[in-house]
Amino acid sequence: MRSGGEDIVALSVAGLTRRFGGLVAVDNVSFELPAGRLNAIIGPNGAGKTTLFNLITGEIRPDAGRVRVHGREITGLKPHQIVRRGVSRTLQIKSVFSGLTVAENIRTAVMVHEGLASPFRPASSYVAVNRRVEELAAQVGLSAHLQTCASTLSYGDIALLEIALALANEPRLLLLDEPVCGMGPRETEETVATIRNIARTVDIVLIEHDMEVVFAIADEIIVMAQGGLLARGTPDEICNSPDVQEAYLGAPEEEDL
Amino acid sequence: MTATNISRVALVVFAGLLLAVPVVMPMFVSPFWIDIIAEILIWSLLAASVNLLLGYVGLLSFGQALFFGVGMYGAALSVIHWGADFWGGLAVGIVAAMLMAAIAGSVAVRLTWHYFAIITVVFSLILYFAAMSAKPITGGDDGISFSTPKVFSFGDLELSLADQSVQYYTILLVVAACYGLFGLIVRSPLGVRFMAVRENDRRAALVGINVYLTRYLAFVLAGGLAGASGALFAFFGRYASASYMFYHVSGEAVVWAIVGGAGSLLGPLFGTGLLIIFRELISTVWEHYLFVVGAITVLVVMFAPRGLAGAWSDFMKVIGRNKPAETPTSNPGLSKPAADTKLGG
Repeated sequence: MRSGGEDIVALSVAGLTRRFGGLVAVDNVSFELPAGRLNAIIGPNGAGKTTLFNLITGEIRPDAGRVRVHGREITGLKPHQIVRRGVSRTLQIKSVFSGLTVAENIRTAVMVHEGLASPFRPASSYVAVNRRVEELAAQVGLSAHLQTCASTLSYGDIALLEIALALANEPRLLLLDEPVCGMGPRETEETVATIRNIARTVDIVLIEHDMEVVFAIADEIIVMAQGGLLARGTPDEICNSPDVQEAYLGAPEEEDL
Repeated sequence: MTATNISRVALVVFAGLLLAVPVVMPMFVSPFWIDIIAEILIWSLLAASVNLLLGYVGLLSFGQALFFGVGMYGAALSVIHWGADFWGGLAVGIVAAMLMAAIAGSVAVRLTWHYFAIITVVFSLILYFAAMSAKPITGGDDGISFSTPKVFSFGDLELSLADQSVQYYTILLVVAACYGLFGLIVRSPLGVRFMAVRENDRRAALVGINVYLTRYLAFVLAGGLAGASGALFAFFGRYASASYMFYHVSGEAVVWAIVGGAGSLLGPLFGTGLLIIFRELISTVWEHYLFVVGAITVLVVMFAPRGLAGAWSDFMKVIGRNKPAETPTSNPGLSKPAADTKLGG
């Protein structure tokens, strides 16, 4: 454990609820995730995993409930304010600034934390920012592609670039929504290695459908179904839980368990 | 010579040509053309205003004429009622337009795409009709005229807009300063935020950018550019008229910006130039010249979707490719294309 006393809980969610019309997408969900561990959230499609992420990052407002990150209340804040409090995320459908180069993408994210103090100074002249851009590119393994336009990157590299963008605010909590979705075996392997590396310094919560990946890297797994929490435990406990097996058998498109 | 250098030399030659206009032009054509070039410079700022929104933050406004009109009246009324000189009138025009944009923008930039385009039209129509009916103040359709204030006086030396060359150089100075500021801002950290919002507003928020505030700042700055354009045009014509607030004027600026290339700093200047020169040449012989303008616009959108500036930067890339030792990055101002210019309307 690298974290101090007040950091024991990385993410605390209490009574979080969100309805869309008649559907309760997230139904009175409460849990606390300890810091210093790699947590995964799994569950069949429509279980409410992504909605939960959207609620945590402020993109959707909860109907009820609270979210705390490292002991600080973030409920009701706007997405950009939550990012500035050290919470970052990637999206299920990979989302970067596709018309810009890799370097410009990362610089954009790093620059945000520079403020607007000198509106007439060229963005490219901030030496510390440029150094940080190179560091982040190296961290996710994109150093060779700094001058490549993001729209011409391979799918796996776009996912890595998105992770670099999410790391630019030096987050203390990183939410990854299906980071290896759509990747080939080699890309998956590389991305998993990168995630493991990041997890040494950042608390990570991961949504993932690839069970091989989840069981390989997660310290603890939360299972969601129909908007609620179904089970929680170590990978072994989850694997042997009858409730979890039933939930997955009830959703025929998820046959990989 | 690298593509970067070619672009730089082209820019210097272009600046030289603009400086030489009042001296060289009368040798070949009627001095009337000096005023046409001045008019192009002025109107190009209105196209630049559209460009700042469309090309840099991805918002298509059909209401920039509103701020042009406010700038026009700000200049005219401050000369008439307060006896302001040129610089005072210009400043009042720009500040008034930015205030107007600050008010309209607080509502407008909450919307994007067609909704944004529609609300900008609605705003400009409301103010257009208000200005048309407030005849005692604005003169309505007929407008109000004023006599030219002096630009500069030092001892016996007094410069007035009545002198065609003084007027041209004054306009060139103000327009160049506006483009200079525009260029500095889009290369600054604020400009980086603009482009992030244009490219992907959801991701922009998720890296910590306040998307609403970023769009709002762009809207107010764009209002200032349109206001500068309007104030200059008021001094150029020595009058202000509510008819310039009509959305037809806004639409023309959108066409100039798109033909010139939204997302490049100087593209819209060339778009404005091309279409105004065209208008001057064709409208004297054929009153339906707008057909041709329409055809040019359609052709540009089909074959050079990034406008004249985009075509230029593609051409520079071809030249750059022939010299593999050099990196083919041309002048950033001319080569930054709007990959995703949201022409939602």
